[in-house]
Amino acid sequence: MSPAYDGHLPAELTLTDAAIAEDAAALELVWRDAPGFWGWLTTVDHKSIGKRYIITAFLMFIAGGIEAAMMRTQLARPENGFLGPDLYNQIFTTHGTTMMFLFAVPMMNAMGLYFVPLMVGARNVAFPRLNAFGYWCYLVGVVFLYVSLFVNMGPNTGWTAYVPLSGPQYSPGHRVDVWAQLVTFTEIAALAAAVNIIVTTFKMRAPGMSLNRIPLFVWAQLVVSFMIVFAMPAVATGSTIMLAADRAVDTQWFNPAEGGDALLWQHVFWFFGHPEVYIIFLPALGMVTPIVETFSRRRVFGYTALVLANISTAFFAFGLWVHHMFATPIPELGQSMFTAASMLIAIPTGVQIFCWIVTMWSGRPRLTTAMLFVLGFIFTFVIGGITGVMLASVSFDQQAHDTFFVVAHFHYVLLGGAVTPLMGAFYFWFPKVTGRLLDETLGKWHFWLFVIGVNLTFFPMHILGLDGMPRRVYTYLAPTGWGSLNLVASIGALVIATSIVIFIVNVALSYRGGELAGADPWHSSGLEWATPSPAPSYNFLHTRIVGSRHPLWEPTADAPVLVGLSMQRREVLLTSTFDARPDSRNHHPDPSIWPLYVALCMGVTFIGSIFSPYFILGGIGLAFVGLFGWAWQSSHAAGHELIAPPDAAEVA
Amino acid sequence: MRRLRPAGSVAELPTVTFGHRSLMWWGTLGFMTIEGWTTALLIACYFYLRQNFETWPPLRTPLPSLLIPSINLVVMLISIVPAWLVARAGKRLDALPMRRWLVVSSLFGIAILVLRWYELWALNVRWDTNAYGTAAWTLVGFHATLLVLDVADTIGLTLFLFIKRMPPKTFSDAADNSFYWYFTVCLWIPLYLIVYVGPRIF
Repeated sequence: MSPAYDGHLPAELTLTDAAIAEDAAALELVWRDAPGFWGWLTTVDHKSIGKRYIITAFLMFIAGGIEAAMMRTQLARPENGFLGPDLYNQIFTTHGTTMMFLFAVPMMNAMGLYFVPLMVGARNVAFPRLNAFGYWCYLVGVVFLYVSLFVNMGPNTGWTAYVPLSGPQYSPGHRVDVWAQLVTFTEIAALAAAVNIIVTTFKMRAPGMSLNRIPLFVWAQLVVSFMIVFAMPAVATGSTIMLAADRAVDTQWFNPAEGGDALLWQHVFWFFGHPEVYIIFLPALGMVTPIVETFSRRRVFGYTALVLANISTAFFAFGLWVHHMFATPIPELGQSMFTAASMLIAIPTGVQIFCWIVTMWSGRPRLTTAMLFVLGFIFTFVIGGITGVMLASVSFDQQAHDTFFVVAHFHYVLLGGAVTPLMGAFYFWFPKVTGRLLDETLGKWHFWLFVIGVNLTFFPMHILGLDGMPRRVYTYLAPTGWGSLNLVASIGALVIATSIVIFIVNVALSYRGGELAGADPWHSSGLEWATPSPAPSYNFLHTRIVGSRHPLWEPTADAPVLVGLSMQRREVLLTSTFDARPDSRNHHPDPSIWPLYVALCMGVTFIGSIFSPYFILGGIGLAFVGLFGWAWQSSHAAGHELIAPPDAAEVA
Repeated sequence: MRRLRPAGSVAELPTVTFGHRSLMWWGTLGFMTIEGWTTALLIACYFYLRQNFETWPPLRTPLPSLLIPSINLVVMLISIVPAWLVARAGKRLDALPMRRWLVVSSLFGIAILVLRWYELWALNVRWDTNAYGTAAWTLVGFHATLLVLDVADTIGLTLFLFIKRMPPKTFSDAADNSFYWYFTVCLWIPLYLIVYVGPRIF
């Protein structure tokens, strides 16, 4: 062990190679997972959990994609018989639910859970067991939805589950219950991730990384985490507290006969549902900045403007929800207000786009695959943004409401605005996660087919929508004349599918035989590149001191670090919230099985509640046993400072 | 990678901190924000449904009783005192009074939960009678889940301190437990006014 651990300032000391190797071995012993399958079940390492989150969410992207392909096959020509109306309803509902709740939000959270600690120079997230618990809850939700779909119990009222269609009167059986409780699992997971990311960002940043120096990806994750904290309770209220209760225990939230109100559902759902869109695409915008910076070979233009744009987008996002309800009786003044707000939000988004364009314009861009995806994002997303401004107008919205125009708009926004940058992010950070680079030639094929496919699929839908084709119909008649544009859209879906297959092949080949990346293959500026690829279990050997927004681009000969965290037990450094001054050392949890156990109890509780309310009592009871075990485990510690229980005499 | 240069040591930094310096305080604050915001949304829904009725409670639905809820409100307000004494002892790293006041807090918690059960029936309406009953039951019931969580946490912490040796961060945990209790009690004040007093006014 290096002599730097005596608690005094070792200003003249240097860490020798031998000391570094010894420290690395000691930290590995302390921070590594338990061996084997048990270690897999009990890990609390944010990288292991982040990785499995990313893989699971990507599998959900594939599942949702297969459902999309089934719908496009059905709609490829008029009066097709590939899917019947009932199955079509289940498929489009499962597609939307999967993409929104099981792919997009978890994927964006997962990227944050994996990279935020690395970017702020921390050893782990703030609450590692909560992190594991969130993932297991999410996985329970994934299994629950797909098992239900395969036993013909798939939800069938759309991902928005509007009442009264989804209420007990019009949707008997358990299909809507599946949807309502699936949402519960994903909201628990999202809230757990959000609190983790907020506290990690506020309290665990590397010394010197004051709030005005944190990377823009971390800013985006922070802002989105706050959005989750305020948006997810709305859907929890709507789905778990109201819809599920109306269906299970006869509450009257949405029953007009007893004073309930169907529009209330739309309010609570969209109060969550609109911010949800920004929850999905703000992190993607956060991914764009480091890619643009790195491959333009200059610092991003307008850091402060980008941060303020992020924050203002988050604020505005909560004032737009009624534009989903322009076809309901909303007072005119309310409509005008929500129209104005819906148009206003284009401004901060535009500011971000201009900042990136200026960065590229004034830099020396290198057109790697990651950078191409950013360019593809700007092109596709701007189209989606413009149709969004069109839909903000009440008179236009009245015409386009519930038509394929809306489908075209939100796929441009979500695929163009979120998935395209995400693909770029995969190319950019894959080497950090695996140690190997993705193949650039296959990457470029992937890029071109993907962007062409997205435009080929969704652009014709604008015209179909303006021509009156409603969304969520399982077929149409030949005289409508919608056949050829639908066929084009279906061919586009095939092109997207091909691009995704190329990506999967690329990942499979590169994972085994890709070019070795080294710690910093792109000569990037963020702290995550200051540790080997893949990062070791403890992330960083010593705590880096940060002197600017671009620590790896600082023109210094060496890297200043703080030493003195324990080498014998899991310990992390906490820093002050604003200035990131070293403040305290925190004992960090060891691996634990309890998060998995408690998540399974949540499964018993919420899945069981569909069949009988008594499962709630049983599941919660079992969960309390788990929480007791959880607390018992965290109270294990050694040392003379322990608080002893009272002796017999004292008790007497 | 550039050569690492030690520029200082953190070995002397404390391991037990309170308030905004502790991770668990932030976690608790996050939980409070989520639960507080959910309650705010439920209150908004309660008033949204109010618009659908001429009178509140609706015709042929009796007013909620005031006695038990008022008693429970007073008990809850008093329970802040032992919770505050727990936090104070925790911050002074004084195990003995902390344990003692935790016992008192636990007893208060149990009493409050028992009263909460009667409080639900003091609504004088069932959750499935009409939208008014649904909204009122949900507000009181949702708050009850927060009470159950915090009382369980308090009892668990107390129990642990009697049966095993606990790490020093328990002092901080106990203070955070009190922090959460203040929140739960404060949250109840508007709910009490809305659900039990409100129907007498609007």
